[in-house]
Amino acid sequence: MMSLKLAAAFLILIALGGFLQFSYDSNIDYFAEHDAFVSFPTSKTLKILSFGNTNFVADMLFIWTIQFYSSLHIKNRFDYIENIFNIITDLNPQLRAAYYYGAIIMALEAREFKMAIKLLKKGSRNMKQEWIFDYESGYYAYKYLKDYKLAEEFYLKASRNPEAPSLIKRRRAHMVYVRDDLELALRLWMEIQANAKTQVEKDAAFNHLYQIKFEIETKALGPKINAYKERYGRYPIHLEELKRVGLIESIPKDYLGDEYLYDNKTGKIRAKRMYKWKKLF
Amino acid sequence: MKALEIRDLRKSFRSNFLFKKYEILKAININVEKGQIYGFLGPNGAGKTITIKCILGLLFPDSGQILINNKPATNPEIRQILGFLPEYPFFYDYLTAKEFLHFSAMLFSIPSKKASEVSKKLIKQVGLEGKENIKLKNFSKGMLQRIGFAQALINDPDIVILDEPFSGLDPIGRKELRDIVIALKNSGKTVFFSSHILQDMELIADKVGIIFNGNIIKEGKLSDLVSHSVQYYDVIFSNIDKKKVEANKINFVCRDESYIVRCQDINTMNNIIEFVILNKGKILSVTPIKMTLEDIFLKEIK
Amino acid sequence: MKLRAIAINTFKEAVRNKIYYLLIAFGIVFAFSSRLVSLLTLGDQVRVLKNVGLASINFFSVLIAIFTGINLIYKEIDKKTILNIMSKPISRRDFILGKFLGLSYTLLVALVSMATVFLLFLLISTGDIDWNILVYFCLLYFELLIIISISLVFSSFSTPILSSIFTINLYLIGHVLWTFNEFKTRLVEPITRIIIYLIYYILPNLEKFNLRDQIVSNEKINPMIVLTSILYALVYIAAMLTLAILIFNKREFK
Repeated sequence: MMSLKLAAAFLILIALGGFLQFSYDSNIDYFAEHDAFVSFPTSKTLKILSFGNTNFVADMLFIWTIQFYSSLHIKNRFDYIENIFNIITDLNPQLRAAYYYGAIIMALEAREFKMAIKLLKKGSRNMKQEWIFDYESGYYAYKYLKDYKLAEEFYLKASRNPEAPSLIKRRRAHMVYVRDDLELALRLWMEIQANAKTQVEKDAAFNHLYQIKFEIETKALGPKINAYKERYGRYPIHLEELKRVGLIESIPKDYLGDEYLYDNKTGKIRAKRMYKWKKLF
Repeated sequence: MKALEIRDLRKSFRSNFLFKKYEILKAININVEKGQIYGFLGPNGAGKTITIKCILGLLFPDSGQILINNKPATNPEIRQILGFLPEYPFFYDYLTAKEFLHFSAMLFSIPSKKASEVSKKLIKQVGLEGKENIKLKNFSKGMLQRIGFAQALINDPDIVILDEPFSGLDPIGRKELRDIVIALKNSGKTVFFSSHILQDMELIADKVGIIFNGNIIKEGKLSDLVSHSVQYYDVIFSNIDKKKVEANKINFVCRDESYIVRCQDINTMNNIIEFVILNKGKILSVTPIKMTLEDIFLKEIK
Repeated sequence: MKLRAIAINTFKEAVRNKIYYLLIAFGIVFAFSSRLVSLLTLGDQVRVLKNVGLASINFFSVLIAIFTGINLIYKEIDKKTILNIMSKPISRRDFILGKFLGLSYTLLVALVSMATVFLLFLLISTGDIDWNILVYFCLLYFELLIIISISLVFSSFSTPILSSIFTINLYLIGHVLWTFNEFKTRLVEPITRIIIYLIYYILPNLEKFNLRDQIVSNEKINPMIVLTSILYALVYIAAMLTLAILIFNKREFK
């Protein structure tokens, strides 16, 4: 009886306390837009403070970070992003997700592509077995920085990993093609075609080879056609005429052995098939 | 009038979380008349301290009733007329003897003027004069026992409960304590004390309850239990030739120059004494051997 | 009277322990050290003075609360002095309440002595006293009372080491509880959500009693917030004491 009374009193009091808290809280809007105050001790300090549980601290920090960067009401949340991810990856250099998602947040949300690439570089330095970091770096370099040379380097590095899928070799070859080193691109794609195992690979290689060959021919043929026009005051009617006047030795064929379509009004050649990857820019 | 009555007291403890219960007390029945000295006898681990803790409300019985002056012991106010000396005197060691007695008095709602009178008297009674202002941490074990006794009497209790008061005392201390207990009885108080030492019981207890393995195996007045039966008589004599004794078909034990004969009844004893006188022997002693508490105890636990 | 006996005895026990004075002395010494720290700063020395002083008094008074709070009940049970007390005509409720009163008196003496020294020191070094500091000490005292009421709950059923761990943990949680506010809205699953809400509203929100930042930076203090905080403290202490008595009533002393 006594216990029941006490238990009831306790419940009432604790509920009252909860209610007071509630009324106190409802005066504060936690989701008003505001600036968060984020600064961290150095990773070394954190390492000391974690008393040997560095991995645990890294995990906790990572979880917090994920929550923090999804708090859209905090306007200045990207101020310390590089610092935060560096601390996490210092505490646990093997935390794959931190590099991967950290780079995604940096690139796609904060639009800090160089920062993202830096983090990924750290990832591939610390985790030699992973190709994904270089692959991601390559993607950011290609897609957002439009630095094809840099992208090619990353893909090349990633493709050297024995675990890396064949896709990466194709990305590299494509980068070479996009930065207009057509001879090298041709060689790389031929290599890919020679080693191709699936139909998809074969098709991709074929399409690229077709396009690259066409572009090489166009590049070589263009000046010849112009030279013909200078000499005769008009474009050749057929490509045969170029051969006849000795400007070329043979009439170029496309990758399938068909002849190119030649427009004698504009002096341009076209391929029967068109693959316009480079026309993106 | 019963000062303390325990009916069917049961108590068990759970030794672990696997719901295995160990019964420590199995149906304890105790009746203490007013003005009696009740000796609660039993070997170590029989359940004496647990029974006392149930009386004092430190432990809650599973079932059964404890009545103090015919009132249930569950109400803390009933302890107003109880005095208790725990087995080991654990007291606040940062208090002085005087402060400690005052603190105890306050727990009985004794006004401070009266408290200082009473504590002065008690300090004298337990022989701690001149040591009132020494902190308890500097007390010896014997002194702690004394101050414990003083605090048990601070409220001039009707019933005094002593848990193993004689253990750890030297012979002089025991004698003094026995005197105090008897003095308490003479001033009309009821004393309930537990002990595993038979000698103390025989010397002062009016009534004895024997507890063994959580059961009261015997309860009764000491005089009823012990005195009415002389078991045998030991006759010791000397100065008679050994061959003569042997010739009379007497069972004896020889020690030094004397013979010890154990006689089962008075007639045999008379015959032996006659024989000794006839043969001009020397009777050294005739002792009627009564049943002791120890014999009762050993007989009962068999 | 019985309640007073327990309370006075509790106070005596605390003040006859050297650690009590040691902690108070440390609190005062650290409060004085605020003067040294303030010499190192550029401008706004009074702010640093107050900040370091209040922080050190806070730290040491919490230490006193946790250690005396747990230590006293632990000793009572561990040294079996409780057998002697509970065999007297005193109810378990009076024992708990007496302990609480004694402890709160102990803490009051400690806090008042530290606060007086600090205020005098502040007066001498700045020539002025910010009376808002008194509000701060008042709220700090209520926080200390909550801590000891919690330690009473834990020591009413648990071993001393566990109770000190629990109490220290609750103290720490109590100061970061406000972070739950963001956390709890992120959980979508109803059951976990309910649990988190329950935890949030049951645990003590000790950060409510921390006015240091406002006082140090001379912000205006909202009297309503102070009053709700005190009301909250009273309700919470009452709840904890009820719980402690409820548990202690069932406790057996082997």
